[in-house]
Amino acid sequence: MAAAPKTNESGEKQIPRRQFLGWLSGVGIVGSTIAGVFSSFVFLKPRATYGQPNRFSIGRPEEFPPGARMAIDAKRVCIVREGNKVAAISTTCTHLGCIVAPSETGFQCPCHGSQFDVDGNVTGGPAPKALSWFQVSLTPSGELEVDKDNEIQTGTYLSV
Amino acid sequence: MSKETSSKWKPLVDLPSNVWRSIFRNPLPSSDRGRAATSFTNFFLHIQPVRVSRKALRPSYTMGLGLISFFLFVILTVTGVLLMFYYVPSTGQAYDRMLDLRSSVAFGIILRNMHRWAAHAMVAMVFLHMCRVFLTGSYKPPREFNWVLGVALFLLTLLSSFTGYLLPWDQLAFWAITVGTSIAGYAPLIGKDLKFILLGDANVGQEALLRFYVLHVVVLPAVLTIFVAVHFWRIRKDGGLAKPEPAEAELPPLIEVTVTDAVPELVPVAATAASAPARKFTIQGLVRGPLVKVGKLEEDTVFSWPNLLIAELVVLLVTIAGVMAVSLFFNAPLEQPVNVMHPPNPAKAPWYFLGLQEQVSYSAFWGGIGIPGIELLLLLLVPYIDRGKQGVGRWFARERILANSVFLLFVFVNIVLIVIGTFFRGANWQFVSPF
Repeated sequence: MAAAPKTNESGEKQIPRRQFLGWLSGVGIVGSTIAGVFSSFVFLKPRATYGQPNRFSIGRPEEFPPGARMAIDAKRVCIVREGNKVAAISTTCTHLGCIVAPSETGFQCPCHGSQFDVDGNVTGGPAPKALSWFQVSLTPSGELEVDKDNEIQTGTYLSV
Repeated sequence: MSKETSSKWKPLVDLPSNVWRSIFRNPLPSSDRGRAATSFTNFFLHIQPVRVSRKALRPSYTMGLGLISFFLFVILTVTGVLLMFYYVPSTGQAYDRMLDLRSSVAFGIILRNMHRWAAHAMVAMVFLHMCRVFLTGSYKPPREFNWVLGVALFLLTLLSSFTGYLLPWDQLAFWAITVGTSIAGYAPLIGKDLKFILLGDANVGQEALLRFYVLHVVVLPAVLTIFVAVHFWRIRKDGGLAKPEPAEAELPPLIEVTVTDAVPELVPVAATAASAPARKFTIQGLVRGPLVKVGKLEEDTVFSWPNLLIAELVVLLVTIAGVMAVSLFFNAPLEQPVNVMHPPNPAKAPWYFLGLQEQVSYSAFWGGIGIPGIELLLLLLVPYIDRGKQGVGRWFARERILANSVFLLFVFVNIVLIVIGTFFRGANWQFVSPF
């Protein structure tokens, strides 16, 4: 049965047809399984989401008096104004996604007790990193706009 | 005249018994042969062996924990399908439907209670079943892979319970899932994508509710059912429940088999089982491994019909009675409807994840991914690490004192973490005394 592999005229080994077809079928089955699983995950990962937009207007600068620290929980940002400078700090805890609440010392998370200072730096608890700061800009109509897709350096304010 | 009539009307007269016998091939068994035939001609009984070891039937050995888990799964499937007739996986309607179950749906309260309490009980029972299997050394060869399947079933049970937790769309549900899916986000490399695919959005919302619903009512139960079937099938193929090897003296003498060339006439089994005076046997094939042990056949066995069936029936009735009793006296919790802006303080996961949440409060990665991952890997590899052959089929065998101690230590640490998370953590996850 196990005859030596046939060779062609130029002396190269020939792969038996049965072996070649078996190999081809194996690659086909394994390949299409992998492709199927992969494309299922591509299907499951939404291209567009139905949730809130990440860029939104929060109102005119006058609505935030100097010294204000206003948490907008629905948008998960806290608008901070010091003098003429405005910034938006994330109120989503960097630990496990709960909403942090402003406190006298900064921010506090109700879920696992993370604590942050007024700039969002971690001062206690399990949070691994500081709260994000988001880009704030002034639209031509004179409203403040927060872009949550654009994280900026802690301590970067917009002058209004 | 009368003879003619009887032959003419015979098919009609015999109709009920003919129909009956076409469905149930055997009369109620009165002989051992009949008891054997009943077991292997009935689709629902043939998953069980014809004879079962008397030791395997002792309640003090298995405590029926595996069976209880299975029956809880059956209860969950039945009550779950019924609840699906009224539930809508929409953030606008889900919570109202919970209220409707309470106020206007006949038996709505009891069905929801049964579903909730059976789910909690199933997590507990599957875990206890795993403890039983470990402490009796029942994962030893040839049962290694069935232990692995069992660990997979434990995970599937946890996932089923967790995905169901979101569906009422109350405060408890929303924040538990927010915390739980954030833990998934800490997984290395795939974490962020995994979380996004699981939620279908950046945050827990309508997409997450729909995805968890599909996972909860279709995907996970289907996978669980397949795994349960293989788990049961392998119990039989691995030679029944683990039991101690009998001492040499107890073994019956080896049976000598003489095979002659003449192949006797084959006899249809079902048709003759009850009536034929004798059966002829031919060797159909030779099987290696634990399936057939000639000369090692256990003497101490009894027929599954009725011994095993009665035991199973008792466990089923006790399970249903227990779930019903708890459901009559305690209502499944339903908190305020979801308020995305105000997490409850403290926001706690379901009790079986509170040990995890307690670990997570020290370090999100190590508590939520690292340590549980290592524990899971160890659990899966146990039968391949511990290769000792001693102490199988006995509780707390002296030979297994090391393995059992390590396992009990793990169990103890996790229970302590759950107790701390449940009773000793208050607002902002600060340490509080429950007393």
